[in-house]
Amino acid sequence: MSSRGPLGLEAQRRPWTDLVGAWVRTRTLRNSWGALALAAGFVAMLGVQQVVEPGTQRLLATVFMFVALAQGWNVIGGFTGYASFGQVAFFGIGAYTAAVLMTNYRVSFWLAMPAAIVAGVLFAVVIGVPLLRLRGHYFAIATLGAAEGAREVVNNLTPITGGGIGITVPTFGAEAPTAYFGKPGFYIAFLLIAILSIALCALLARSRFGYAMVAVHEDEAAAAAVGINTTAVKVVAFAVSGAIVACAGAFYAFQQIQFYPENVFDAGITVLMVIMVVIGGSGSILGPIAGAVGLELLSQYLRINLGLYNQLIFGAIIVVVVVFFPQGVVNFFADAIKERRFSPLDNIRRYRL
Amino acid sequence: MILEVRNLARRFGGVWAVRDVSFSVAEGEVLGIIGPNGAGKTTLINLITGHLRPSGGQVLIGGSDVTGRRPWVIAHDGVARTFQIVKPFRGLTVRENVAIGAMHGNHRDRTVAEALATADRLLELVGIAPRANAAPSELSVADARRLELAKALAGRPRLLFLDEVMAGLRQSEIEAAVGLIHDLRDSGITIVAVEHVMRAIVSISDRILVLHQGSILASGTPGEVLANERVIEAYLGHRFARRRSSN
Amino acid sequence: MSQFLQAAAYGLVQGGLLALVAVGFSLVWGVMNVINLSHGALAVAGAYLAWQLNIHLGVDPFVAIPVVAVALFVFGYVIQRGLINLVINAPIFLTLLLTFGLSLVILNLLQLFFTADDRTIDTAYASQSFAIGAVFIPYGRLAACLLAVIITFALAALMTRTRLGRAIGATGMDRGAARLMGIRARHVYAVTFGISAALAGIAGTMIATVGSFNPTTTPGQLTLDAFVISVLGGLGNMYGALVGGLVLGVAESVGGLVLTGTWVNAIAMVVLIVTLLIRPSGLIGKAQYGGRVEV
Repeated sequence: MSSRGPLGLEAQRRPWTDLVGAWVRTRTLRNSWGALALAAGFVAMLGVQQVVEPGTQRLLATVFMFVALAQGWNVIGGFTGYASFGQVAFFGIGAYTAAVLMTNYRVSFWLAMPAAIVAGVLFAVVIGVPLLRLRGHYFAIATLGAAEGAREVVNNLTPITGGGIGITVPTFGAEAPTAYFGKPGFYIAFLLIAILSIALCALLARSRFGYAMVAVHEDEAAAAAVGINTTAVKVVAFAVSGAIVACAGAFYAFQQIQFYPENVFDAGITVLMVIMVVIGGSGSILGPIAGAVGLELLSQYLRINLGLYNQLIFGAIIVVVVVFFPQGVVNFFADAIKERRFSPLDNIRRYRL
Repeated sequence: MILEVRNLARRFGGVWAVRDVSFSVAEGEVLGIIGPNGAGKTTLINLITGHLRPSGGQVLIGGSDVTGRRPWVIAHDGVARTFQIVKPFRGLTVRENVAIGAMHGNHRDRTVAEALATADRLLELVGIAPRANAAPSELSVADARRLELAKALAGRPRLLFLDEVMAGLRQSEIEAAVGLIHDLRDSGITIVAVEHVMRAIVSISDRILVLHQGSILASGTPGEVLANERVIEAYLGHRFARRRSSN
Repeated sequence: MSQFLQAAAYGLVQGGLLALVAVGFSLVWGVMNVINLSHGALAVAGAYLAWQLNIHLGVDPFVAIPVVAVALFVFGYVIQRGLINLVINAPIFLTLLLTFGLSLVILNLLQLFFTADDRTIDTAYASQSFAIGAVFIPYGRLAACLLAVIITFALAALMTRTRLGRAIGATGMDRGAARLMGIRARHVYAVTFGISAALAGIAGTMIATVGSFNPTTTPGQLTLDAFVISVLGGLGNMYGALVGGLVLGVAESVGGLVLTGTWVNAIAMVVLIVTLLIRPSGLIGKAQYGGRVEV
């Protein structure tokens, strides 16, 4: 493009070193608070570990796992706007990849876990390329179908996976390719996964790719018109989302030692991810954290204290929250504080018929 | 020739929306395309910019064949467009809307910060800098059109398609838009402007193409086209044409 | 060979039942763009009601159908009017979540009252069958299948011949325009959901008569089948749902004969994904609301 004219549109190409310098100079407390909060959260949780019992550590480890799962779903479902209802497929594939490698081939967990991530990414690409052409409900249910299909494949590949009788990862003695982490070890492992997935998603959200995901979410034709390769954005978002979930699945497999296809391909896990993100607030970083922590603690509390009624109450809570906070609790309060309107009834008026 | 269209055609079911359309645009030119509703103007833009696949024909941009390429490939070739029904990214601010174009278009800003800076310059240029942090839904019709234009410009196009950017604007707003389009041409951008309103297009175009029922009815300088009997007939009906010739 | 014929015959009568589950699901999806994840729960609720009527009052399940239908219609009307209408304009996963939560509530209530045991409605005729050549066809299943066909045709007639049906169709095509013409969308949506719930209840009753049901595995399976059939048959297309049900029934039945292990469970999924990829508007029918933009 020529440089004449009064527009000043011509961007100056600056060398990379300049860009890094500019980035460092523009760091302030104001734009680094997220990173600081994350580091503080990490340290605080390490502190918490010192004072709680192993049983509680295990419970909190599950909370951390759901934080990672919710962040993972949020990448494709929240930012990109493709509601994947088969996300548990990545969890199951991650779990089985790690478990099969460790059990059948005596591969160290530290190799099996990255392999699980690779398997998740491959699955995302293989089913994502055809299925991401579908929209709305069709995508949601097609992914659900893909997950059910993946479970049946694992169920029927008995020689490799053990099929319906489950799989048992060797964890003790000379048999074990990697020594078992124990409750404190898994607490730290899941805490790290949660922290890293939050950091990854926060970096993605602020990057050019993050803006591309939101553009695809809002309007694909307009996104393509400004030069966004919408197919690539959707597939990469799906792969990132799958990688996070598959990684959590690998750790879960090792932690559980023994599990079955119906455990790690349970459609209920997908639903939990979706609920956590939607109730917390989709398309944000804080929303999935709030949703995962809040709901997982709540459901653990219900399970322990209200045994028989826990599912009933859980269902009722979903109904109430969806009706009163359809945009998610975090987004609701962010808007409410900005506009000084706190009535959830105003909120209902937005989406009702 | 920056753009060459050869025998382009597209049909929907049994109806030809665009049929055997050929024309070319020289660098630095402003080409106006007019025609009554349903003449195939928007379909033509969609075919050239990759939003629709042609049923036949060829599109060459800067001499290379881009027929049937996806929209982003064509955008990376330096082609930008606006949409007749504006398509802002609703969840983002006006400034971020423009920045997205700057991050992913023909010339790409490498960081979000650079893209936001580019967006600020463009908002200044189209005249909606004070609304930078507003939500697109809060903009007036005219401002929403300006945003649409800024988004298209953010990719630093060499060829820009404007799909009815002046429809529904007041006289003073149309004048501002005409001035802006002149500035864009002076800075070296080739422009293809589709308009329903004859008056506005005459003042900006070097050459005008008249589409009617999917085919080219006439082409030439604004003066030639305005004097063309068939154009008057297509636009204003037989009665008007007869009255004019009897006068 | 006779084995295959038997499987195909069984699949056909089973498919009729599945079609009855799917018709209502497809109706709601087509008209309001809501995927009702509580559809299977509504069917099971109907089954429990008919079962209770049978064991306490000795009512034959076929006689209980009108009662079940009315009860479920009222229940469905209230749910739509009071809950789903509140989030109908929200992004799609909210209606998915809402109906999922609803399904949890319904099923856990049922489980609290009736436990998670498998139940069936015992009738004298359910286990009897007649033979055509080497193929046995159970009376109960055949009756259930015929009923499904009759109801499907009746529903199609309702949709095309009556004022109400046309109001439902018009609201499904363009809610704004329908409202301008004086159609009360809130009421029409509630009636639509009520009809869908009533159909689910009838289907549940039939399933309880010819087989067994429980509140844990039956509902999810029914909802998934309904989804696959709706996609196969074309969204909102009644006849499509009927044919889709028969196709799925036969495919699963014959597939069960040929395939080992639990591969048969994957059949519905394979059918679903292939259909979606080749022709999202439905393999069999033309989608009734294909022109509408999905939000």
